[in-house]
Amino acid sequence: MSATNAAVAEPYDYDVIKKFAVMAVVWAVVGMFVGVYIASQLAWPVLNFDSPYITFGRFRPVHTGAVIFGFGGSALFATSYYVVQRTCQTRLFAPGLATFTFWGWQAVIVLAALSYVMGYSQGKEYAEMEWPIDLLILFVWVAYMAVFIGTLMQRKQAHIYVANWFYLSFILATAILHTFNNIAIPVGLFTLKSYSIFSGAQDAMVQWWYGHNAVGFFLTAAFLGMMYYFVPKHAGRPVYSYRLSIVHFWALSFMYMWVGTHHLHWTALPDWASTLGATFSIMLLLPSWGGMINGIMTLSGAWDKLRTDPIMRFMIVALSFYGMSTFEGPLMSLKDVNALSHYTDWTVGHVHSGALGWVAMISFGSLYHMIPRLWNTQMYSIRLINTHFWLATIGVLLYITAMWISGISQGLMWRAFDDFGNLQYSFVESVAAMHPFYVMRAIGGMFFLAGMCLMAYNVYRTIRQGVLAAQATAAPAAAAA
Amino acid sequence: MLKNFKHEKVETNAGVLLVLTMLAISAGGLVEIAPLFFIKDTMENVPGVRPYTPLEQRGRDIYIREGCYTCHSQMIRPFRDEQLRYGHYSLAAESKYDHPFQWGSKRTGPDLARVGGKYSNEWHVQHMIQPKSVVPESVMPNYPWLMSPLDYADIGDRMRALRVAGVPYSANKEEYQRNVEKFGADVAKTLHIPDARNILVAQAQEGNFDGDRASVTEMDALVAYLQVLGTMVDFSKIKPEDLVKYR
Amino acid sequence: MEWFADPANAKSLGLLIFFVTFCLIVLWVYGSKKRGKRLEEHKNIPFLDDEDMKDKSNG
Repeated sequence: MSATNAAVAEPYDYDVIKKFAVMAVVWAVVGMFVGVYIASQLAWPVLNFDSPYITFGRFRPVHTGAVIFGFGGSALFATSYYVVQRTCQTRLFAPGLATFTFWGWQAVIVLAALSYVMGYSQGKEYAEMEWPIDLLILFVWVAYMAVFIGTLMQRKQAHIYVANWFYLSFILATAILHTFNNIAIPVGLFTLKSYSIFSGAQDAMVQWWYGHNAVGFFLTAAFLGMMYYFVPKHAGRPVYSYRLSIVHFWALSFMYMWVGTHHLHWTALPDWASTLGATFSIMLLLPSWGGMINGIMTLSGAWDKLRTDPIMRFMIVALSFYGMSTFEGPLMSLKDVNALSHYTDWTVGHVHSGALGWVAMISFGSLYHMIPRLWNTQMYSIRLINTHFWLATIGVLLYITAMWISGISQGLMWRAFDDFGNLQYSFVESVAAMHPFYVMRAIGGMFFLAGMCLMAYNVYRTIRQGVLAAQATAAPAAAAA
Repeated sequence: MLKNFKHEKVETNAGVLLVLTMLAISAGGLVEIAPLFFIKDTMENVPGVRPYTPLEQRGRDIYIREGCYTCHSQMIRPFRDEQLRYGHYSLAAESKYDHPFQWGSKRTGPDLARVGGKYSNEWHVQHMIQPKSVVPESVMPNYPWLMSPLDYADIGDRMRALRVAGVPYSANKEEYQRNVEKFGADVAKTLHIPDARNILVAQAQEGNFDGDRASVTEMDALVAYLQVLGTMVDFSKIKPEDLVKYR
Repeated sequence: MEWFADPANAKSLGLLIFFVTFCLIVLWVYGSKKRGKRLEEHKNIPFLDDEDMKDKSNG
């Protein structure tokens, strides 16, 4: 089979996909390492080493940038280029432009990280990149849009498969969100510093409209696109209900954009806006669970594989975490719950149950499925995948348990009164009480990172094995010619 | 009508899918964000709120540079415990000159919306250089490099950029006069871009925020900023019932 | 008309718009058996790419 493959030209453009797939793994290792490091700084502040470049405040956006845009972004570029070609049965439109998206995107991640440690930040969460980097992102994104939509247009399959809808809505939404949230006035042409055009309550509204939809479209819709291709493909069974996927796609695309204001409950934002956000957050449970049910029911016919195939396990656990965190989210958007949970570690735990449990796990499953196919080989070691699975699962569980306990205790300690109606705890008492949980969280992160390192090694060996095999088959072919 | 419509149209035509998806994802943002730009009622009209002085604004830049918002919020919610711990709940008007807003999302450390005036300058300096020396349980990093000289060469450019974004810093006589009417002469003087450097140095020396009058340090700027946080509005002069209608 | 312009009513209005649209989509998707069958056929697209073709041809 490999012999015929080497002889015939590849039916798809894999070159740019391979690059993105490798960088997804690299950024995951880097980003998760920085994550573990900043988590350790909270447990042991001495790790800040009195150095401006690695203090928590500057290092935290390096972590979020590397994992969300480096790891998540690269995984999305890779899988979307893979899925759109295979489900449209065509090659990439403008492969040169696709290569530009690769180098451009990697430049964005590197420049952003460097600028953060140097002290350049817009001061808006998950949008800390300063204006020149924002412009570069915009160029890359327009190129991405052109490649993706161009490929859709030249498809040989009449129907556009549902995974592509999710990718498309992610690309469109990200373009809108990024553009509006980052409108800023630069201090000068030759300085990175700029000031947001929006101020105060308006800026808060725009920022969390961006912030929550970065979660909704970048980290959810796009990964649902991933799920809709790789889960059925890997299970060898078509998706459970195609009609359900239509309904939940439109509901999800429509509703996510409304919910950002639940990040601003009880703030100076007008009450109607945050109540509206909460209402939609609750309703969002339905389309979210639509996706989860569709995924799990697709896998349910292949339970037997679950015992032997760790890739399937990654997928089912990812879907379970997706269901869990999309239930937790609406719960936390209730104003009374939010009064307790907001500003605490509970939020951090919630984000990570989504980010580690859902986003990272579904990416691991998809990458483990895709990488051997890209290099026309098998995964080097299934046992290592299995070990990775257990390390990752234990890591997430430790992490979110620690954050639940610390988050809820913070919330309760801050609002506790003594018998005389005075505050029972000073703030710093709550800080001191969190120490064991910060240690536990850092250990959870270490588990997850250790699993990730195993994956990197496994992927490295797999690629080497694929390249060597290709060379071995190419050599006799060349000799024969 | 329903019968004639075919979802195949959407599924087989990338253009239609694009437009419909665009519509679906635009609705939420339009309904929630647009009103904030057109409705005046979303912000209280309280006296006292003014743009930051050049020194305070540079302090704010440092606050953003160091990523303080990753651990500190600046938004007090209307709860009894927060009122006792931090003070009066935050008003939208109090951050109307904040580009960007720094309400934050996490309190690893306490809220700072009304930290101004709570501690002495000396305490802040000591706390920045080594937080554990004043709060032993603190997990905040040390910031010894804040004692380095403040670069204020581009303060004019910074204020001009903020002016474009909507902050009423004055670039000429007319704008200065307008500020005198709006904020009074004392404040208006501090908002005048042509004099920015002198004003900045004068405030740093006069305020003596870092305990050293000879040089203007980043610490001067940051402490000046922290000391003004939440102090602009005099709540003894405002009736609570006037604020309720804006919530 | 003024009722629609009042931001205080945005909640109910948003709910109404959402609910009507949602009902229409659901009606449309699940309304007819024939349409349903046609829609469900698309779920096989991921299995139409050449890798599976090749697998079949190779036995």
